[in-house]
Amino acid sequence: MSARDNILSRVRDAVRVKAPRPAEPSASAIWPLSGEAEARFREEFTALRGEIVESLPEFLDGFAKIATDGSELAGAGNASVREADLGVTACECLVAQTGSIIVACRSAEERALSSLPPVHLVVARRSQIVLDLDTALGLLRERYGNDFPGTISVISGPSRTADIEKVLVLGAHGPKRLALHLING
Amino acid sequence: MNANALQFRRATDAKAFDLRHRAIVGKNTATYHAAVARGLARFADWETARRRAAAIKWEVMNHLDRYLEEFERNVIARGGHVHWAETGAEASELVVSLARQHGVRKVVKAKSMVTEEIHLNPALESAGVTVLETDLGEYICQLRGEPPYHIVTPVMHLNREQIARTFNEKFGTPLDATAEQLAGIAREKLRREFLSADMGISGANFAVANPGMIGLCTNEGNGRLTTALPRLHVAIVGIEKLVPRLEDLALFWPLLATRGTGQFLTVYNTLIGGSENFHVILLDNGRTKLLADVEQRDALHCIRCGACLNACPVYRTVGGHSYGTTYQGPLGSMITPHLRGWEDWSHLPYASSLCGKCADVCPAHIPIHHHLLHNRRNSVQRHCDAPLQRFAFRIWRWAMQSPGCYALGGKLARLGMWLGIAKPLARLWTERRDLPDPPRQAFRDWWRSNERA
Repeated sequence: MSARDNILSRVRDAVRVKAPRPAEPSASAIWPLSGEAEARFREEFTALRGEIVESLPEFLDGFAKIATDGSELAGAGNASVREADLGVTACECLVAQTGSIIVACRSAEERALSSLPPVHLVVARRSQIVLDLDTALGLLRERYGNDFPGTISVISGPSRTADIEKVLVLGAHGPKRLALHLING
Repeated sequence: MNANALQFRRATDAKAFDLRHRAIVGKNTATYHAAVARGLARFADWETARRRAAAIKWEVMNHLDRYLEEFERNVIARGGHVHWAETGAEASELVVSLARQHGVRKVVKAKSMVTEEIHLNPALESAGVTVLETDLGEYICQLRGEPPYHIVTPVMHLNREQIARTFNEKFGTPLDATAEQLAGIAREKLRREFLSADMGISGANFAVANPGMIGLCTNEGNGRLTTALPRLHVAIVGIEKLVPRLEDLALFWPLLATRGTGQFLTVYNTLIGGSENFHVILLDNGRTKLLADVEQRDALHCIRCGACLNACPVYRTVGGHSYGTTYQGPLGSMITPHLRGWEDWSHLPYASSLCGKCADVCPAHIPIHHHLLHNRRNSVQRHCDAPLQRFAFRIWRWAMQSPGCYALGGKLARLGMWLGIAKPLARLWTERRDLPDPPRQAFRDWWRSNERA
């Protein structure tokens, strides 16, 4: 018998008798959501120390080595991800409820773009803003069905730590700055 | 008393009166509690949220065979590899043999309690592999050669000065370094390690059956670097970590973060699966024993947010290291005797005032303090309690069942107090507690003389 068979047979034996089922929870909404999605997104995103970039050329001027995911929105870069001081990517969607950016990656290189360079810039369309996390995950399901990308990240602000005396420090291992440029459409 | 119970008593005796420890932990938990209060304000109905989580976890635990098989099938269908380990030693051996197969010399690790549970680092090190913790708190623990003090905030017991001193001893950095500078030093040191490591090891906060991915929740971004940069990623996952569907995380992510740190979401909620380089090890290590206990099965609903530790007056007083376990506080006292044996760990459920604060804060709605009470009963049924205690309770029960004996006991105690011999006899109690003088008259005497009025 393999470890797999042993564990599964113990599990089967164990769950033959069911534990008492907890009472059905109420159907009421568990968090309030109101307001216009983009305004809410901006409020949440900036509260998490995300930066909204109004002028893209001006922002890009501040970086010499730029790596991108090569998507239509992110455009072309001039450096490899390991040496870049800015990583630029597109995203799956933006979540108003939480101020999050959802990024999906199919390769390790793509994943590195949003975690290795000190600054991560996302270029997204306004129409990509969804109201809440439920909608966002439903959207991913709809989009990918049974062919999910290898990594999906819900990113809420720049990398941080509060391990030392609970003092907030931005830029622990991931990007120190997270920026977003919204375009119409 | 067994060696673990003795160790626990000695450690708690020392820690409970360490005022510096109390001040540091008090400050950290006060900051935590303020953040959690702000986080909870984002919920219109916290109670419903955690009841929904409990319902989902009930469904998973009571059909765990089905969800495990679904998870395995989906991970494999997407190109990943699934291994199974009955014990911690088996899981460690699996990781070591994967490291050997792939010529791994350096490993970077994301924060993971399960790798502490299975003692993975020493196993890898004795196989000649360099292991580096990359979560800042865990990195500090590794530098100090200490186990994590807390499942979520590993160095909650240290202040900035102590951490700066550790960095100073290891790297010669300034003693007055700020938290920001210390984090910067760790970032710089570890950046090189991420880029040169051959294998990344993580645990999992969630294992999603459909579509077969693991979920990692981190703030620092070390989890993403650990799993993205090295050519191999191994995730060690307790079998209780399953949730049915991706969509369930819209509930579990906020529950975990809100009670873990007070954030609504941690900075990075990452789902990983579907690559050739991805290996999952599904670990039992005693979990099926708890699963087989219908009465206490819901102890496996725990999502390891650490809230019950921060809430527990005993944990805050005796500190995380005193327990001598991987999982500390009420959560540890709830599961450790089941996972690691009643003989050695039945003293833990007594380290509680049964105030119920742990159950109050639990995002998975687990009645933790009831489990502690059940564990006490179980340990007595398994004859794991001390013989003297057993004898004392037998006398107590006998006396309590007879009004005459009870009255006589009261009289004797009063007489003893009056003669001044009771307090010296009760020294074990009075060493650190007050024993108030008894009233001159017993209640039943008072009742008898006032009954007519």
